[in-house]
Amino acid sequence: MLSRLFTGYCLIVYAFLLAPIFVVVAASFNAGNFLTFPPQGLSLRWYVVFFENEVFMRAIRTSLWVAALTACISTVIGTAAAIYAVRHAGRMKDTVRVAMLAPLLLPEVLTAIALLFFFYAVGMGTRTMAGMVIGHVVITLPFVFMNVVASLESFDPALDLAARSLGAGRYARFRRIMLPLIKPGVIGGALFAFIISFDTFTISFLLKGIGTSTLPIQLFDYLRTNFTPEAAAVSSVSIAMTIAVVVVIEKVLGLRIHRF
Amino acid sequence: MTEVRISHLTKSFGAGPVVDALSLTIGHGEFVSLLGPSGCGKTTTLRMIAGFEDADSGVIAFDGSDVSRVPAEKRDIGMVFQNYALFPHMTVAQNLAFGLEMRKIPAAEIRTRIARVLDMVQLGTMTERYPSQLSGGQQQRVALARAIVIEPRILLLDEPLANLDAKLREEMRVFIRDIQRRVGITTVYVTHDQAEALSMSDRVVVMFGGRIAQTGAPADIYDRPATRQVAGFVGQVNVIEGVVETASGEGGHVRLPFGTIEAPRIGAATPGARVALALRPEAVSLVPPAGAGWQGRVVSRHYGGNLVDYRVAMADGTVIHAQTFPTTQFEPGAEVGVHADAARLWPLGD
Amino acid sequence: MATGKRRSATLLLIAPAALVLLVFLVIPYVNIVIMSFRPPGEGAPYGVGFTLANYRKFFSDSFYMLQVLNTLWIGFVVTLSCLLIGFPVAWQLARGESRLRPLYYSIVLAPLLVGIVIRSYGWTVLLGNNGVINRTLMGWGVTDGPLPLMYNGLGICIALTHVLLPFMVLPIMSAIQGIDPSLEAAARSLGASRAVAFRRVLLPLARPGIQTGSILVFVLAISAYVTPALIGGLRVKTMAVTVVDALIDTFQWPFGSALALVLSVVGATCVIVFARLTRMRWKVA
Repeated sequence: MLSRLFTGYCLIVYAFLLAPIFVVVAASFNAGNFLTFPPQGLSLRWYVVFFENEVFMRAIRTSLWVAALTACISTVIGTAAAIYAVRHAGRMKDTVRVAMLAPLLLPEVLTAIALLFFFYAVGMGTRTMAGMVIGHVVITLPFVFMNVVASLESFDPALDLAARSLGAGRYARFRRIMLPLIKPGVIGGALFAFIISFDTFTISFLLKGIGTSTLPIQLFDYLRTNFTPEAAAVSSVSIAMTIAVVVVIEKVLGLRIHRF
Repeated sequence: MTEVRISHLTKSFGAGPVVDALSLTIGHGEFVSLLGPSGCGKTTTLRMIAGFEDADSGVIAFDGSDVSRVPAEKRDIGMVFQNYALFPHMTVAQNLAFGLEMRKIPAAEIRTRIARVLDMVQLGTMTERYPSQLSGGQQQRVALARAIVIEPRILLLDEPLANLDAKLREEMRVFIRDIQRRVGITTVYVTHDQAEALSMSDRVVVMFGGRIAQTGAPADIYDRPATRQVAGFVGQVNVIEGVVETASGEGGHVRLPFGTIEAPRIGAATPGARVALALRPEAVSLVPPAGAGWQGRVVSRHYGGNLVDYRVAMADGTVIHAQTFPTTQFEPGAEVGVHADAARLWPLGD
Repeated sequence: MATGKRRSATLLLIAPAALVLLVFLVIPYVNIVIMSFRPPGEGAPYGVGFTLANYRKFFSDSFYMLQVLNTLWIGFVVTLSCLLIGFPVAWQLARGESRLRPLYYSIVLAPLLVGIVIRSYGWTVLLGNNGVINRTLMGWGVTDGPLPLMYNGLGICIALTHVLLPFMVLPIMSAIQGIDPSLEAAARSLGASRAVAFRRVLLPLARPGIQTGSILVFVLAISAYVTPALIGGLRVKTMAVTVVDALIDTFQWPFGSALALVLSVVGATCVIVFARLTRMRWKVA
């Protein structure tokens, strides 16, 4: 009885977690002019409106570019830092960790403001996409770092010694032993960085250059004045893209992992 | 085959030396065990031979050429790790091929060499398995195969049997020694298990506190331990202290707290000197009480299958450990005559 | 010895990250402190010289003080509701035996993978005057007019609780997973009831997870921008919204910096007080 109640309670919480996502997706198929739920008939018209809206399409392209660029840079920098922290930092390990996690512990809005002022102070301003990408790299670094550190910690240092005893040099050990074994962590970190960059709002909002609005910014601007279901269609496409990334990588990684 | 010459090797981690001016020569094709309790420096010594640790001072030479500055990957060693360190993302064949690929061996030769070695360790059918699909004993043999397939100059083994169960451990002792003899490779074996060291080695090096306490053939170490520490670590022992009454040649008459004995070797020639004699439990036999000789009372008895362990309290309270075949048994509390095999008495240094 | 060369080679691994964090995090944060002492500029975001006027303006105007208190109150309510809602879920994820556990786990993670704008938007669809909840209630005749669910503190708290719940569940879950299940069995075998075993054994051991989760949620709640901006509209503003408005709409950079720093210091003080009160042992992630 008690456990029934408990399970029921948890199910309600899961429903609560899914509710807003669910209504957005459901609303996107609404046929009417105004957002209502349940929808007044099913239709894909808002998807058509969305795909014909050049502003949103440009925002999607910008978001994908920024996310891809951010993921690449963050993954390289974060992976190197993780390897240093776990394998070479020695007694400095905890210091390196705290420093690497700092962007996560500081409020995003404060980091965004700080960067905005900084870019103006150094005369760089926010004319280009560079400022936004830098901001995204800063806030995604901790995720790459944590993921790679986690996989490095399950990496047995004796494997590295074994490879040395078999005659493998530094590069061969990295490429043949460490990299394949921490690959799930690295790809997971890159995936995290991509999704966070794709979805993040505050830092993009403050650092966006002229004509470099990302999808969340465009959606936010739109929502401040409009209530048509087009926003729901935009959101649904964005959600679908995120899920696609997760599923694809999961499949790729999943296969690899299950082989050993 | 390679000769390893270590001289004045020293290594410290923070407080005090872990390996302290250690010198040792390991001959061509010799199987040498480094035996000692944990923290005695045996593993650090092995890691310095492998090149995983840099020595603070001292020289390690393979066949006369100093390798102290040569990185591990260039020393041409084969190593078996305690937890095997098999690459989890590679099959057995890929694990074995790794070292050969590093040596740029042609693919065809790699295949034949892997097949030959896997045959030797009786794992010919396991080539496509991943390490996680193998039992502990099989993983152990793959680790050994991976170390020897590269035909290294020296084979290093770091407590390779520590993670196996007792039965398998005894089988693997014979197996490893057999392979080592067939390949004829110079081998350094690190262990804290005296039975392993005694049964496998040509020579045993007993280490305490970073220094060598004694080096010798297994029988030397067991029957003629240099110090109390060695005697106590390698097998079980009674250490009996007494005073020399008369000396003649190497031997003499020694007065003990509970009797006297004529020992063929006493280590101290002058009457009145104090001596400590090692007496292995299996050199003590118990007989029904008789008028002459040492007398004692059985305090406890532990049945061990092939042997029975007794603790016997002597007249002055000294407790002697005796190990006998279970043919005749004595109840706890029984009065017994205690007979020591004088030829097995060995004088100990400090 | 090659060690020296090797060490400088490994330093190359950390150099890029160190450079990024120094140039794009440390220096900008120092800069923001300096900015808060700048006078307002004419035709530029800020002027030259230094002044305390920005802080004076904050402390002399009860409007801002009330807003800070309001923001802290929202942070407190959201943290508490996340804890109450999240703990049972964390428990179920850590200890449940259901075959659906992987599904439940991804449901908890899912909101993290959906952008915050979209999630907040979802709540406007649910909570708005014309939203799903109000229409349903009116349709059933429960209420005549729409309930005020949006454009107020309640709406912000509901949406923020949703947005931040995973940050509470995940640390508690991993803390509970780290507790040996046999400890509960041991407590029961010694005569403790389920409730006592929970209170005396499980809860103290799960405390680090609760502390981490609470701090994360609180900090994220008081610094959240998107959710209060969309749900609160123009009527209810939290500090983060006021700060960003001061920067973007009215270009008062120095004053905005001062506001942001005051909020940060107050927030950090709350976290430290909380950590003291719950005897937190700081541990690196």
